[in-house]
Amino acid sequence: MLRQPLTRALALSSPTRVAPVVPAARRFAEQVSVQPEKVEVFIDDKPVYVLPGTTVLQAAAQVGVEIPRFCYHERLAVAGNCRMCLVEVEKSPKPVAACAMPVMKGMRVKTNSDLTRKAREGVMEFLLVNHPLDCPICDQGGECDLQDQSMAFGSDRSRFTDIHFSGKRAVEDKDVGPLIKTIMTRCIHCTRCIRFASEVAGVDDFGTTGRGTDMQVGTYVEKMFLSELSGNIIDLCPVGALTSKPYSFAARPWETRRIDSVDVLDPLGSNIVVATRTNEVLRILPRTNEEINEEWLSDKSRFACDGLKRQRLVTPMLKDSRGNLTPVEWEDAIVAAARALRDCPPDKILAVAGDLADAEALIALKDFVNRLGSENTYTEQYFPTGGSGTDLRSSYLLNTKIANVEDADFVLLIGTNVRFEAPLLNARIRKAFIHNETDVALIGPKVDLTYEYTYVGDSASLVKDLAAGTSSNEVLKRLESAKRPVVILGADQLKTEEGAALLAYTQELALRLQDNLQDKEWKVLNVLQRTASQVAALDIGYKQGVGEALAAGPRVVYLLGADGGVVTREALPKDTVVIYQGHHGDAGASIADVVLPGAAYTEKRATYVNAEGRAQQTLPAVTPPGLARDDWKIIRALSEVSGAGLPYDNLDEIRERLSQVSPALVAYGDVQANNYFAQARALAKSLQKPVSGKLDVQLKQLEDYFMTDAISRASPTMAKCVQAVLKQKTSPY
Amino acid sequence: MSLMKYLALDKVANFFNIIRLNGGIRGSLYKLYRQDEIKDGVLIGEDKFGNKYYENPRYFYGRNRWVEYADQYYLNYDASQVPAEWYGWLHYKTDLPPHQDPSRPKYKWMAEFTENLSGTTGQYTPYSTTRPKIEPWVPKKAGQ
Amino acid sequence: MAGALVRVIQRTKTNLGIVAPLANGINNVPVRYQQTQAPPTKSKFGPLADSDRVFTNLYGRHDWRLKGALARGDWYMTKEILLKGTDWIVNELKTSGLRGRGGAGFPTGMKWSFMNKPSDGRPKYLVVNADEGEPGTCKDREIMRHDPHKLVEGCLIAGRAMGAQAAYIYIRGEFYNEASNLQVAIAEAYQAGLIGKNACGSGYDFDVYVHRGAGAYICGEETALIESIEGKQGKPRLKPPFPADVGLFGCPTTVNNVETIAVAPTICRRGGKWFASFGRPRNSGTKLFNISGHVNTPCTVEEEMSIPLKELIERHAGGVCGGWDNLLAIIPGGSSTPLIPKDVCETVLMDFDGLVAAQTSLGTAAIIVMDKSTDIVKAIARLIMFYKHESCGQCTPCREGVSWMNKIMYRFVDGNASPKEIDMLWEISKQIEGHTICALGDGAAWPVQGLIRHFRPELERRMQAWACVHGPSKAERLY
Repeated sequence: MLRQPLTRALALSSPTRVAPVVPAARRFAEQVSVQPEKVEVFIDDKPVYVLPGTTVLQAAAQVGVEIPRFCYHERLAVAGNCRMCLVEVEKSPKPVAACAMPVMKGMRVKTNSDLTRKAREGVMEFLLVNHPLDCPICDQGGECDLQDQSMAFGSDRSRFTDIHFSGKRAVEDKDVGPLIKTIMTRCIHCTRCIRFASEVAGVDDFGTTGRGTDMQVGTYVEKMFLSELSGNIIDLCPVGALTSKPYSFAARPWETRRIDSVDVLDPLGSNIVVATRTNEVLRILPRTNEEINEEWLSDKSRFACDGLKRQRLVTPMLKDSRGNLTPVEWEDAIVAAARALRDCPPDKILAVAGDLADAEALIALKDFVNRLGSENTYTEQYFPTGGSGTDLRSSYLLNTKIANVEDADFVLLIGTNVRFEAPLLNARIRKAFIHNETDVALIGPKVDLTYEYTYVGDSASLVKDLAAGTSSNEVLKRLESAKRPVVILGADQLKTEEGAALLAYTQELALRLQDNLQDKEWKVLNVLQRTASQVAALDIGYKQGVGEALAAGPRVVYLLGADGGVVTREALPKDTVVIYQGHHGDAGASIADVVLPGAAYTEKRATYVNAEGRAQQTLPAVTPPGLARDDWKIIRALSEVSGAGLPYDNLDEIRERLSQVSPALVAYGDVQANNYFAQARALAKSLQKPVSGKLDVQLKQLEDYFMTDAISRASPTMAKCVQAVLKQKTSPY
Repeated sequence: MSLMKYLALDKVANFFNIIRLNGGIRGSLYKLYRQDEIKDGVLIGEDKFGNKYYENPRYFYGRNRWVEYADQYYLNYDASQVPAEWYGWLHYKTDLPPHQDPSRPKYKWMAEFTENLSGTTGQYTPYSTTRPKIEPWVPKKAGQ
Repeated sequence: MAGALVRVIQRTKTNLGIVAPLANGINNVPVRYQQTQAPPTKSKFGPLADSDRVFTNLYGRHDWRLKGALARGDWYMTKEILLKGTDWIVNELKTSGLRGRGGAGFPTGMKWSFMNKPSDGRPKYLVVNADEGEPGTCKDREIMRHDPHKLVEGCLIAGRAMGAQAAYIYIRGEFYNEASNLQVAIAEAYQAGLIGKNACGSGYDFDVYVHRGAGAYICGEETALIESIEGKQGKPRLKPPFPADVGLFGCPTTVNNVETIAVAPTICRRGGKWFASFGRPRNSGTKLFNISGHVNTPCTVEEEMSIPLKELIERHAGGVCGGWDNLLAIIPGGSSTPLIPKDVCETVLMDFDGLVAAQTSLGTAAIIVMDKSTDIVKAIARLIMFYKHESCGQCTPCREGVSWMNKIMYRFVDGNASPKEIDMLWEISKQIEGHTICALGDGAAWPVQGLIRHFRPELERRMQAWACVHGPSKAERLY
């Protein structure tokens, strides 16, 4: 089965093109390949030892010599068509393209010789012949590779004598959806977007038409770029041909402040940079983290930031005598909430944590509720209670780790649409599928994962058969023969009645496989959570699934950003007081009696734990709007007024408390290795009941993906995306 | 030159005259407190707000016409309380006070004079044309 | 009538030729055997004797089908050649000194020997480049329409030499009749058991496919041609990896010109030494020359390599129109080679080294003769326009540079330019040459360089004339 353009496949497997970048995150890859002997090359007379197959450009990067480039990108196939990276190589009559030329022993590269400089200047001149000089009105201005490199390597004057005023090449702009703005006249035909679309995103919509000066980059027929990773081509474009539509004409890069943060709109915790100006989030860009998101970012994480400006809770609110929520001062709201909590019998207090809650707020709320004498802290997301439940961390985490999925040789997905639940994990699987010949099998509804997979079926009993080893399906054989298998169970399955049994079977299957592996370090079992808060909540000791507690008829319900629609007015007794603390007016706030405005993830320094169990912190990029405050501080204040004061007054102290609960929660950036798989498996044995249902997932199509939480539901851009996708699907052309 | 003048006794006479015209010692002290000066002059007219306009050619040109604001303003008087019709006389644009000037135009559309209300609660505030950076959530009204 | 006349003339020529090769043959016997050891004493090249012609049906006077081909000696002893094995064939080719006839002139024997690396399980392919699009060149079409069996047999032998499983003949889309003839020839060969399973009874399986192009000049570049066969846009690939490593469908592939393949059977039959006896060392063999332009009888003719250009034109093309003195310039190797002016044409020898010494190249040996009635600047400008139209647009210098050169060249035609722009144009052409992925950029740059090298006074004269009439050019102001 051939998964990539043939030349690429063979070129990559041939010794001249072994992908030489071995990120630190991928421990396993190094063990497999025997390290060949390094060869010595000279870059500007500086000797450097590199692996054979390294390109000249990469070798130069190792000694800190950056060779200018437009079309070359580390994570994409080599195109070699911009010719900007031409360098002089001794004994070669012509300059060679550094991005494509593998090093040879004793090669002497001159990156700053006259020939090299002349070649660069020539290419630069040619690129500018047909590039519009509209930098002042171009959104890329200030972060444009062409601009920067023409300053560094270009000529100081133009020789272009267009005395007939025939003009520069003009190209019609393409409409590729509500996220990407195209100004195709600026295109320099580096084909990075084309390569990204076909290699990483798995959508072969982009290509070139025409030839010579008439060559155009575009979708062959005008259509939307139907991908959940489309925004990355904006970052990839070295010029202003592809820019962000929501961000168009908003700001210049030098005006913005950039704050490193973490994304919370999917469970992976992609690293981001929040660009702000005058206390306003303007855009979100990815930040490189090899272990999580490489340098990509999914569209929701990138473009939902305008949801942070709409539907916000900016002031505390109380229900007045007519039942209308009216703005009040903090004091009134806190006193009202404290009174309700104090007057309530402890066992009738219920706290529910939602999708976007941070670890600090979670622990503060749990401690507070415990001090009030209640144990009723729940998460919105379900997780089976039987067996080891959430006591053993390994049974609710992505144990393999995101980066290691690349080294897997067989991936079994159970009841999950990874493409939309965790787009960048899917990109990793696709990368493994393409470059490492990894095979993928899926149990669950048939969905488009952007790569081919073996479809096993959607019946839950298939999991049981696989776990028992009685399945006649070929997938079992391949799983058992795999050296590094990965089994991923989607969290969607856990909320069904058979969730517990499914988890037990998955554990059984995964751990049976793991026991037979030669590589004892390799983890097979993975549970893919749906939300950013779930892992932290389970770590802290929240109980899973709020259903039973609701049935008990609570008198006071404290919703910490719980907008999932699990808690509804209909499910509660009439006189229940609902206190909502969060940042968006969504499902939770609309049923509340007291609203306490909290801060969104761009507005606070807070800890989030991603699906792997990796703690990361967001940093405040802007201040919370209006009277909104940090979440844990609100709870701290409330506890004081309620007479159950919490013993921490600042962030360090609350983090100290977090580390008491679990050191993993404050080990920022690290993942703790999980163990006790065998114990979890043993405990899960009792749950292995017969299953008969069908597996289903929530997010099946692209239009389901865009609006899944309070922030993205408030985002106009995401709403436009949903409409555009639906429109594209109803009338393709 | 009379003896009175020679001995500067006319100044003393003026002083007493001013005090008399301004309502005796009490009245004069009150006016001094309100206006920082007391003058003698001929009352030329009074506008509808109760401001009184005086003239005394004895003072040098430029200071020989003045207004005494109505008592209702107490210390909160300012120049914008002089209505437009008196403005011209007060600033020597004309020597005819409004009630003695028959040719002064009077149209229906002329607006009622208002003082400058800046800094008061009645001031004009332009509405903002920039969108708020944050759109707050507006809860639904009960019963909707 | 004219056709008949030509035929008569040709007939007499061939009749005369019978005598000549005999004499030649006798004289050259010792020389031929000394060739490998001693430096050549041969100093006169051409005319070629009829008995030494490889393409005996170049003019289509005989039957081109299998029967006629057999009569002309094609498919004779093919089985024996195949059974002699890879090494023998490659050695014979190496002895013959055959250099690729497609333009670059890479030694064919060496090229084939690259394919004989230990197999890694991938099949190997032979690709025949019949996408003859170079303006002025019309040699391959003559082979394909009048001697297709030579090509088919050549495919088999070349395929055997490199262990290929199949040959793909990528034929130019415009060559409809040629593709038909070729297809018929292949069908005949299949029916006669000459190719296909157990080709010629040698136990070797070999298939030949014809793939018609869609009309792009760039598809004559070997990697673009491979891409085109694979069904993609014909855009050249980066090298390395070379096609011998990763080629058609990702497998080791050799791409050869039609003429190179078609002469291979004859070389194998008559021996590499026979072929090496023609021409100067390193430029040996016979070659098809196409002579077009301002000559009295434009023709395609097989001649010995290293024949003087003047003799070639006078003997076969009936001389330049209006006599040799009316000659202005000659493009000696197809449109992408730099032109040479008359004084160089007098003495230059038509072979690889001779033309390189004259700062041009043999290319495909398509000689375009231009007499003094030619507007030489416009002729070159038209060529640049062709290259501008045919640039694939993949890499920057060619995409942007050639259209820029085109703009300047058309201003030069009028003379509406600054003399300083001549140097600039030279520099631009140097910025394109050698900076591109494939050789199209070089091919576009060379004609301009040839023009500037030899006709700079003409360019300056035009600019002066234009300035006399219209005043200084606007381009002047930009300096």
